[in-house]
Amino acid sequence: MHTRRSFLKSTAWGGALGSTVPAFLAATFDHLHAENSDRDVAPATGKDSPVLVVIQLAGGNDGLNTVVPLGNDHYHKARPKLGLEPKTIRKIRDDVGFHPALRGFEELHDEGRLAIVQSVGYPNPNRSHFRSTDIWMTATDSDRFSNVGWIGRYFDNACAGGPATVGVAVGRQSPLAFAAKHPRGIALENPESFRFTDLDGGADNQAKGSGSFYRQMNSSFDDAPLGDPANAGGSVAMLGGTHSQTSGGSPLDFLERTALDAQVSSDQIREIANRFRNASPYPASKLANDLRLVARLIAGGLGTRVYYLSQGGYDTHTNQTGAHQRLLGVLGDAMVAFVKDLKALGQSDRVLVMTFSEFGRRVAENGNAGTDHGAAAPLFLAGTRVRAGWHGKPPILDPTSLHNGDLRHSTDFRSVYASILEQWLRTDPRPILGTTFPTLPLVA
Amino acid sequence: MLAELPASRWNPAAATHLLNRAGFGGTADEVSELARKPAREAVRSLVAKGTAANPQKPPSWAHPDPDRAARLKAFREASPQERERLQREQRQTQRARMVELEGWWLDRMVRGADPLREKLTLFWHGHFATSAVKVRDAYLMWRQNDLFRRHGLGPWRTLLREVTLDPAMLIWLDQAQSRPPKPNENYARELMELFVLGEGRFSERDVTESARSLTGWTLDRLRQEPIYRPRLHDPGVKSVLGAEGRLGLDDILDVLTSRPDSDQWITGKLWTFFAGTAPGAELQQSLARCFKEQGRTIGPFLETLLISEAFHAPEVVGQRIKSPTELLVMACRQLGRPLPAPAVCANSLRLLGQDLFHPPNVKGWEGGVAWINANTLLNRHNLALLLVTGENPLPTTPRKGTPSAPRTRRGRPAATAPVDLAELLPKTDRTSAERILEILNNRFLDARISAKSRKVLGDYLSAQADLDPQELLGLLRLTLCLPEYQLC
Repeated sequence: MHTRRSFLKSTAWGGALGSTVPAFLAATFDHLHAENSDRDVAPATGKDSPVLVVIQLAGGNDGLNTVVPLGNDHYHKARPKLGLEPKTIRKIRDDVGFHPALRGFEELHDEGRLAIVQSVGYPNPNRSHFRSTDIWMTATDSDRFSNVGWIGRYFDNACAGGPATVGVAVGRQSPLAFAAKHPRGIALENPESFRFTDLDGGADNQAKGSGSFYRQMNSSFDDAPLGDPANAGGSVAMLGGTHSQTSGGSPLDFLERTALDAQVSSDQIREIANRFRNASPYPASKLANDLRLVARLIAGGLGTRVYYLSQGGYDTHTNQTGAHQRLLGVLGDAMVAFVKDLKALGQSDRVLVMTFSEFGRRVAENGNAGTDHGAAAPLFLAGTRVRAGWHGKPPILDPTSLHNGDLRHSTDFRSVYASILEQWLRTDPRPILGTTFPTLPLVA
Repeated sequence: MLAELPASRWNPAAATHLLNRAGFGGTADEVSELARKPAREAVRSLVAKGTAANPQKPPSWAHPDPDRAARLKAFREASPQERERLQREQRQTQRARMVELEGWWLDRMVRGADPLREKLTLFWHGHFATSAVKVRDAYLMWRQNDLFRRHGLGPWRTLLREVTLDPAMLIWLDQAQSRPPKPNENYARELMELFVLGEGRFSERDVTESARSLTGWTLDRLRQEPIYRPRLHDPGVKSVLGAEGRLGLDDILDVLTSRPDSDQWITGKLWTFFAGTAPGAELQQSLARCFKEQGRTIGPFLETLLISEAFHAPEVVGQRIKSPTELLVMACRQLGRPLPAPAVCANSLRLLGQDLFHPPNVKGWEGGVAWINANTLLNRHNLALLLVTGENPLPTTPRKGTPSAPRTRRGRPAATAPVDLAELLPKTDRTSAERILEILNNRFLDARISAKSRKVLGDYLSAQADLDPQELLGLLRLTLCLPEYQLC
């Protein structure tokens, strides 16, 4: 037991902080996680474990204008206005290339740091942004509903007893993908403001200031015990996405638990963010800024297994050309800067980046020089340990092969998840995805 | 039918709950005045208020731009550089107006004569979630906001028709650009999926056929009004949810609003917003039936909802997480302080996760527990500092080009005045820790303080030397950080 507690303090809290956390908080933390103390499996935390960075392309990325077929008549026939000029495309093979704005992906590809999984989707595709996002986040069949996310199930299964920061969503919202039986994961927008400011604007732990009582408020359960820790904050509906309020803790339990998470992680994150610097430059964009922060937190040894970021704006129903160009430019440039930075920080071998979008878009453009909601599309993996190159089958654009004007998928997105869980996060995908999906060799 | 709250359970606590949910909370006097009326009359007095007595005039620019034609002409004739300058100017003007509009609306919530109508307007803004990011015209955003205010309590079908032809909506979901033979499906899809029926209650074919039916309705960009252009309408036969014929806008609205799915969808949404939890299957059926029997009119339905026994059940009262807007507005009212400057309000609400007039997507805000995570909760706690002491610890990260919140010369966000302690905690009441806690508990926590919170505040009080103003401000701030303060 003693060993177990030392372990929690030195690893779950990132070591360096153990001494600055008040004793009563440490006691609370141990209490909260006492339920896990007899488990055999140590939570995967610490500086050497693999990290997954998920980038959501929200709105439905037009896969056909991202990875562009070359010399394909069907493509130009379906897209008289939006079809990209063959000579502008960043040619990768004779029959396919990247959108001209994807200089970042071309660079990653040439360095052997990019994997492209083609025609990813799922059976009976749903064309609602919200429903399809939920399907991707919960990894269910398209006619099944769940309020637990696939990453949340990974936390439940493989990271029990880990800190709240086992999942970090950069932004104002936690994704449904993080929702778990034992909710973990925090949302973080800006490390500077991720703190409780006391009356004088200063530190929050002087004996008399409201700060120390704020800590007491968020942590002492001596008078009113938290109750069954397994149920504390059990309302898994909290993490954004679409879902019903589920059984479990009351809103009050949930608020108390979140306040504790906020306080413990805010100390830790500010400390790391202040101490660690990036090693190479980033372009000016929100996505790049978010990735810049993630690189610092990784280098600082935060015990996070999954970082979650989002780039919005892909719902290009009208005048797609300029908007899509900007989005892909930002995406590729940010990703290549991130991978370079991680390399310079000596962290690149333990980080894998994955993109996803809730659906691709229709093969044929609409009447507004845009595209409507579609189905299958490519997704991308980047990192120094990715098995670079092409995976899955290329899309077939022949109108007789389309399903209601949409591309058919040939790789289920859960095969990608299964491959990552097994080959990268080194855990059995079955209990997380519910069933077996064929894997692809995505990690070198 | 929906069981009514028994008269025996209508009391000041129930009146407090009603004022919290149907508006933005009430003072002790407002609560006792309402509780003295019979329940039915009390509810009716909230729903049937007029807006005539509102002190707030619309913003000075809230009308069609009289110089629009000249402006567009000048723009067309300008050189590329000149054009860019004009565009930049226009963007800055619009953004400044959006901040003003947000402050204007919040002020109506804090001081307005018809809080229920403002609360309902907040609901409709989340339901028909339209963002200024794409509309880019403060007048059109104001106009939609005012539409919700004018039609929000009226017949459901009328409201839907008004929203469908609302210029901001025509832009937001691309109906303004939809043309045969390849109509834009964006509005038709969200109309069915988010506004009227719900996902899974229509087919892809219903979407494309509705999109065809809606063609012809577009935006007159010069007059900033909706317009029907017969030549842009697809006159062919369409088939939508079993109805077949040469369908147009009104046929589509008839088909959609007469479906039981529609009654369930909108009443379920209203219930979830006001009660804070989704209705169970049986309650959902009753709500839908009431709505249909009351001619599908929002006002009478709301009356029924607010007076129902289910709405006053223990699992509803005090169990709803305040939205950021409600938190800000209710706190200002309870603290007896004016709203901070509009730019400060806009920045705060954005950091708390409810950027008014800029919802995250057309589905609006998820609400409930989704308001709360480590990040937004810390921001709520820091907003409490701002509202109590006037010191602003929140970082200002304005949207590009938005006028930023006022700052001092040293670069810190500027302070506003602290609350009036003499009014909140009169010296004569500062006799004992118990007395002070009782006042705070009643005023801020609807008398629902937990044992743990009482101990934290008590420990704080006993650690203070002499209860000087600074220490009392600290106490108020801690009170606003309590987990139970996030609920109402």
